Amino acid sequence: MVRFLLSLVIGLVIGVIVGLYLGWFQFPVEYLDSPIGRLDPQYRDTYTVMIANGYRSDGDALAAIERLRVLGVADVPDFVFQQAERYIANSRDLGEIRALIALSEGLGRTSPQFDSYRQATVPEGG
Amino acid sequence: MNAQIPRDSRYYRPRRALSWGALIFGILAGLAGGLYWAWQVAPVEETDTAPWQLNAQSRANYVVAIMVNYGYDSDLGAAVSRLLDLRPPGDPVQYVADIACDLARSGYVDSASGERAIRTMMTFYRNQGRAGCADQLIPLFVGPTPTPQSTVFEIPTLPPPPTKTATPPPDPNEQGSTPVRVVPTVAPQGAFDIVRLERFCDADTPGIIVVQVQERDGTPLPGQRVRASWRDGESVFVTGLKPERGRDYADFTMEPGVGYTVDMPGQSDPSQVVTSEICNGPTGQDTYSSYRVVFRPSF
Repeated sequence: MVRFLLSLVIGLVIGVIVGLYLGWFQFPVEYLDSPIGRLDPQYRDTYTVMIANGYRSDGDALAAIERLRVLGVADVPDFVFQQAERYIANSRDLGEIRALIALSEGLGRTSPQFDSYRQATVPEGG
Repeated sequence: MNAQIPRDSRYYRPRRALSWGALIFGILAGLAGGLYWAWQVAPVEETDTAPWQLNAQSRANYVVAIMVNYGYDSDLGAAVSRLLDLRPPGDPVQYVADIACDLARSGYVDSASGERAIRTMMTFYRNQGRAGCADQLIPLFVGPTPTPQSTVFEIPTLPPPPTKTATPPPDPNEQGSTPVRVVPTVAPQGAFDIVRLERFCDADTPGIIVVQVQERDGTPLPGQRVRASWRDGESVFVTGLKPERGRDYADFTMEPGVGYTVDMPGQSDPSQVVTSEICNGPTGQDTYSSYRVVFRPSF
């Protein structure tokens, strides 16, 4: 009887470990019908840049806030500001940085390090 | 005494430390329990949701974002590529029209920004020859709404129509076309090469240019702009608009007897001139020759 119980317990432990590994890592639950607030960070960044470009097109800051609010961020201006600073720090695409800076400043948040990017836009505008 | 007990009796076999039956039963039970726990009780927390996993409302929000961005840069290739991230059921441009229709019927249109976004969507899909119910609900008033460049992108279908619609005049900013061979207006950057250009004869697909744009390893590249040029004009189309034929697929209908070159504007040199002529298909039936062109990155 002890032999039987020992074998059962060992089998259960092995099975649970394998089951958890498969369920969490190999074949994790794939979600559908997710809210946009759960987007992968790279897509959140892309979404924000697209909205920022929309702001550059129409200058409607309120619409940009409404469109970004669905991401579930508490402070939209700060969220955009943080992304702009992160994009600058990571030397991301200049057009995307300019879009984020434009929106960030449109929402009332600016930084001295934005200056050089604004200046960089002058020749193109001229 | 021993003669009365069979040789294969368990009394003669050495006793194993484990019971195989109990072990296997335990593994199966543990496996079931572990999977139940991992999938139902404590599933992995969702942190890497892709656009195609979004719910309907969020997908609409994402499409609006793509469209307001398109309203800014008029980059059709980028817009289509992002739409394909949503894995739309069928034509991604028609998907925009359908979402515009839904939004136009909802309270979304009550705000000026919402109405502006829908108009941008309408401009987008109407330029691609699609239609939706938003066309009847909202007039396409082009006031403050930024309009994309006036290029009309022709997206031919299979089987190809017997006649091709008139094409727009070339962009006035671009140089005029030469009588025989059209030189790309943007200096090629050599980003893509034509790795395959072959003629084929198939009665099911007469007189078309099939274009595929791929990574070097053959991975499809959707949303890439491809241009077919001929003596009197040109047409730009985008890969991935027929996902049922492949995310790297685009096609263009040729007029018989007209010479065409194919290139990726600003990214490749033009192909040699190809012409659709009468040929014999595999069944011996007369049809028009077609071409397959494959682009891949140079480096």
